[in-house]
Amino acid sequence: MRQGHDTGLTRRAALGALGTVGVAVSLGGVVTLGGAAPAAAQALGQNEPLEAALKRVFGGRPMKDGSGMIKLDIPLIAENGAVVPVGVEVNAPMTPQSYVKHIYIVADKNRIPIVTRVALTPASGQAYMGANIRLGETTDVRAIVEQSDGTLLALTREVKVTVGGCGG
Amino acid sequence: MSDIGKVRLRVPASIKAGDVIRVRCLVIHPMERIERDKAGKIIDKKYQYIDTVTVTYLGKTIATFDTTQSVSENPFFAFAVKATDPGKLTVSFHDTHGQKYEGSVDIAFS
Repeated sequence: MRQGHDTGLTRRAALGALGTVGVAVSLGGVVTLGGAAPAAAQALGQNEPLEAALKRVFGGRPMKDGSGMIKLDIPLIAENGAVVPVGVEVNAPMTPQSYVKHIYIVADKNRIPIVTRVALTPASGQAYMGANIRLGETTDVRAIVEQSDGTLLALTREVKVTVGGCGG
Repeated sequence: MSDIGKVRLRVPASIKAGDVIRVRCLVIHPMERIERDKAGKIIDKKYQYIDTVTVTYLGKTIATFDTTQSVSENPFFAFAVKATDPGKLTVSFHDTHGQKYEGSVDIAFS
């Protein structure tokens, strides 16, 4: 590795150039989007604590209790955390004027707390989604519903996990 | 896995015009999890997992799933569709390695 020094210099230069490009791109994004970066522009699943994830995705907006509207279908005890079926049904109209825009599934203690985000359209006819998720340990699972007018509704349910499924 | 990317789609056996139907779909995919070395540091590599699932019906996108590694292996998804006209329903899965897996079913009324 005698050439290590030279390589290091080149690499530094290359990284510097990359950084400049990155700044240019982010500036461009701000200009075109008017300062509001959409949640979709960044990777949804990040290795972060729950509070950081909620703050990043929802920006600290207040959440109402959705127990009257949301039906969260998830087992109370999951023997195998690697595959946990979850279903969410929202008792809300799906018309072009008022519909359920997003359904989020959040597992509080997962290393990647945001499990999935479903974007729905009125053509669905019903606000419903189902998926198989992973749970690392016994945790609260939240279903967070965002309606077309921006209202957030949340429902939390605890799931006991016998064998964790998230590995590293 | 040789079966990787195989998509299975399931719709109710009999559909009437205007019904809201529930469609279930599954794709064979490893959904790689974050790996850590002995010191607990995350191994930095491009993990292969599905990050977008798009549902298209009659040429229109009706639902999009943005998924993370917290979704199980061989992921299963379910969603509702209002069957207004006979036509094709397509579900496409896109993963972080740029692979695309697609499955479609014809919605026909009985």
